[in-house]
Amino acid sequence: MRAAELRQLGKGMAFISPWLIGFIVFTLLPVAMSLYYSFTDFALLKGPLPVGLDNYRELMWEPHPRGRFGDPHFWNSLKNTFYYAAMALPAGMLVSLGLALLLNVRLFGQAVYRTIIFLPSLVPAVASAMLWMWLFNSKLGLINAALMSLGVKDPPGWLSDPRWAMPALAFMSLWGVGHTVVIYLAGLQDVPTELYEAAEIDGAGRWRRLWHVTLPMISPVIFFNLIMAIIGTLQVFAVPMIMTGGGPARATQFYTMYLYDNAFSYLKMGYASAMAWIQLLIILALTAVAFWSSRHWVHYQGK
Amino acid sequence: MGLLLRQLRNTLLGLFVLAAAVLLVFGPRRSTRPPAGRVVVTYWEKWTGTEGAQMQQIVDEFNNTVGREKGIYVQYLSVSNVDRKTLVATAAGVPPDVAGLWDAQIAQFAAMDALEPLDEMARACGITSDYYKPVYWKACTYEGRLWGLISTPWAVALHYNKRIFQEKAEAIRKAGGDPSRPPRTIEELDRYAEALDERDEMGRLKVAGYLPLEPGWFMVHTPFWFGASIYDEHSQRFTLTDQRVIQAFQWLRSYSERLGPKSMTDFRAGAGGFSGTLNPFLAGTLVMEQQGPWMANYIEEQRPSMNRWKMFKDLKRNEKLAAERKLSVEERRANYEWGAAPFPPSDPAYAGATFAGFDVLVIPAGSKHKKEAFEFIAYVNRQEVMEKICSLHCKNSCLTKVSDEFRNHHPNPYIEVFENLVSSPNARAIPPCPIWPEVVDEMNSTIQNIYLLNATTEEALREAQERLQQKLEKFKERQAQRRRALADARR
Repeated sequence: MRAAELRQLGKGMAFISPWLIGFIVFTLLPVAMSLYYSFTDFALLKGPLPVGLDNYRELMWEPHPRGRFGDPHFWNSLKNTFYYAAMALPAGMLVSLGLALLLNVRLFGQAVYRTIIFLPSLVPAVASAMLWMWLFNSKLGLINAALMSLGVKDPPGWLSDPRWAMPALAFMSLWGVGHTVVIYLAGLQDVPTELYEAAEIDGAGRWRRLWHVTLPMISPVIFFNLIMAIIGTLQVFAVPMIMTGGGPARATQFYTMYLYDNAFSYLKMGYASAMAWIQLLIILALTAVAFWSSRHWVHYQGK
Repeated sequence: MGLLLRQLRNTLLGLFVLAAAVLLVFGPRRSTRPPAGRVVVTYWEKWTGTEGAQMQQIVDEFNNTVGREKGIYVQYLSVSNVDRKTLVATAAGVPPDVAGLWDAQIAQFAAMDALEPLDEMARACGITSDYYKPVYWKACTYEGRLWGLISTPWAVALHYNKRIFQEKAEAIRKAGGDPSRPPRTIEELDRYAEALDERDEMGRLKVAGYLPLEPGWFMVHTPFWFGASIYDEHSQRFTLTDQRVIQAFQWLRSYSERLGPKSMTDFRAGAGGFSGTLNPFLAGTLVMEQQGPWMANYIEEQRPSMNRWKMFKDLKRNEKLAAERKLSVEERRANYEWGAAPFPPSDPAYAGATFAGFDVLVIPAGSKHKKEAFEFIAYVNRQEVMEKICSLHCKNSCLTKVSDEFRNHHPNPYIEVFENLVSSPNARAIPPCPIWPEVVDEMNSTIQNIYLLNATTEEALREAQERLQQKLEKFKERQAQRRRALADARR
């Protein structure tokens, strides 16, 4: 490398150093440290005590008196998170895509409808959680009032019944699909009109045009939203923390909530770090599966 | 266009400079500057609002008296999540000199070496076990050492609505009770509760005689009223499968079995929060509940008419308190729509059972001004200061000696009930268990499983027993590993 190039490199590094230093100090180092702590017993005040794989063993495969393995709350929180993801992810994808398709239709007041759909995404999570707590309130809530006016005699206790609490949270997650809708809309507007015209000449109806033109053309956008949804649903935290606190009877205790409890209530930083790494591996694995499958259903225009 | 842009830029710049200048002149600043030459003791406390202002009053009095004399200045700072922030600051080597924590943290923090032991300093100030009521002194110690001293103590008693007792006198009598007094046994409490329950036209619970879920803060301590505890500190074992513990939680479950879990949770959903006018006890939809002595203050704030049943209806708080000074305690009590009494035990042998809780002042490990910090803690523990803060916060005292003034003119006319409860040998505090926060979470979900009828009481408790004992054993094993590692390092 010549001296001039070195000088250029130095200048470039100097310009990006605020971000680079911030990334190294506040992201890379903590992530690396958390990997180390996951193999230790660490409670902040006393230095980390190396325990090998003990945290992972206690979480996943340590035998219990009743023939169970690992920490039951770990497995329960993982199960709850997947249960939520199984409802919220497809529902969110379908509803946001459906709304985007409707909002893409040219009609009077289109911009107003788009704004209305996007507005809830601007409401802070805490505020919308409080709002939905009242809507779901089993005695005073609007949802149960509507159900009772429709003749339902004993509508469910949405957040107080372990059977209904998780579906209620998944339903509530649809409130914030505005961001995804906007991304879909951008993708939909990028579909060349000549493709629709060609399909129409070939005799394709609305559904065929949607199935054979629209969806393949926006498949990269669907793929992007899928990846973001996998990450988002597996890391959900703030809203259920406010609305249910993990209850009733741990029915809505999400993985991140149990991780938080271990770190900041029980002060088991090593245990919580191990949980964070397991979560990272799960998300990585699911993302990898999504990438692998994308070869079969994602179509890029350039290829 | 260029001119317009320049004008816009200059306007924006001018606005920015103006905003900065306004912020500099009128913006936030240190409310008080410590006087020169004094040692500054930083004091982090959980309280905000009225309670925070009342503690600030005590701090100011210290700074103007003992502080001035000894060259100490205490700086009070309200801190949210004070326990976690204290711990992080301690780990970082910059702890506050005094922290106001909760009773639940003493064992946990002490086991982590996060606190300075106070034994010697306390002894030097004449604060020994004789100075405190036994239940509180014991709860401030862990593994034989003293780790904190109390700022405000409290206890749990049965609160009941005398007006509703009168209105439903016939129903109470029919149930074999006496409307002129609260229930004295658990069995009697259940009969009163059933007699006082009211349902609406749709069959939903409209008025509840008693509901373990409301407010539900002390459900984990229910075994205290059955002569048991969930943890045996001597054997360091959980005792959730003990017959009396099972009996205690079975009693909680009996309310779900009688009313239906949905009826209970629906009632709870319709009830307002604790500190609002929709609090069901204040709204008259809950006739009896477990509460602490602070209730008199909250009632005064939210529904003052309940503290002026028969007279002083137009008097403001201070005027009423002044007028009450001319009355006997019995006359004062008669003017309150509500009453407080010992929560009924399952057996007369456990009379006086209560859960004694408290807020505690500790010196975090690594504090730079331990001696000065303790001067402040000792000041708060002087009888007259303790009685002042406890009167302001409407709580009982943790000290053995209690003045007649405190007993007779406390804002809560039932303070004697609480004083007697915490002096009882059956009064209990949080057991010295180093994993208590985990225990509370485990027990809360266990109790939810019990009252939602998801599992039998025995099953739910047996599972919790296994899990908690395993967690505790793991904690002890790690402590032992640490001690061995430390010993090896020293060698």
